[in-house]
Amino acid sequence: MKKTMTLNLTDAEMRALEQLSDKKDLTKTAVLRQALKLYQLVDVRLAQGGKIFFEDDATKEKAELMVL
Amino acid sequence: MHADKLVEAELVDAIEEAHLDLVDADWAPAVVTRLKQLVDQGRTPADWPQSWHWNWRNKMDRIRGLASCPTYAILCEGKVQGLMQLNDSKARCRIAEQAGLDLVYVDFVESAPWNRSEIVDSPRFKGVGSIMLAAAIETSRDLGFKGRIGLHSLPRSEPFYARSGMTDLGIDGTSENLKYFEMTPDQAAAFSK
Repeated sequence: MKKTMTLNLTDAEMRALEQLSDKKDLTKTAVLRQALKLYQLVDVRLAQGGKIFFEDDATKEKAELMVL
Repeated sequence: MHADKLVEAELVDAIEEAHLDLVDADWAPAVVTRLKQLVDQGRTPADWPQSWHWNWRNKMDRIRGLASCPTYAILCEGKVQGLMQLNDSKARCRIAEQAGLDLVYVDFVESAPWNRSEIVDSPRFKGVGSIMLAAAIETSRDLGFKGRIGLHSLPRSEPFYARSGMTDLGIDGTSENLKYFEMTPDQAAAFSK
């Protein structure tokens, strides 16, 4: 069952949401649902002791993403 | 479908402990029996059931509580007839016309041993794979992904995904040399007809 809620966003947050919505061909709701799940996934993996890296495809250089 | 006769089945949108108990009790013995037969016949692992090593309890432990990993079970006649694990945050589309867009990735899908011709001579129910594929497409639509799905296929399942209208993007060297298949919204619409 789905629940409905009201969300208050700043102008900057709304712009970011609209840009992602356009780029990803998703509704704003769909973007936010995906963002929430990704946030949860990151949180769970970090709590398990994992680390998150971005790897440069060309140089294979890795940079750790620090989540505070 | 059983012996060309349709039977009622239930698609449950979450694999629960009771389903895993049934799988432990029913699936494992059937697979072990078949493995023993094959070993006694001197057959190599290449001839063994392709998902013989899968452990659904371990798979569920790894994703417990993650909203990005929906799971499904098909129940019929008091037995679990099939299981599937999806992931909606793991991969992006590769087909050029939809490259980079979100999709639902089918992490694992398996039919009960008694429904598989590689394990029994006369499979009991047909259609488990098609129902699961339809569920993956519906999940994709519900998320706003318009039916886009993707998966890496075990070798003996490749003809099924090709017949289902998915695009074969060939062997993926980054994923155990399995073939990668992907479905577009148009292909999903054709599958759903």
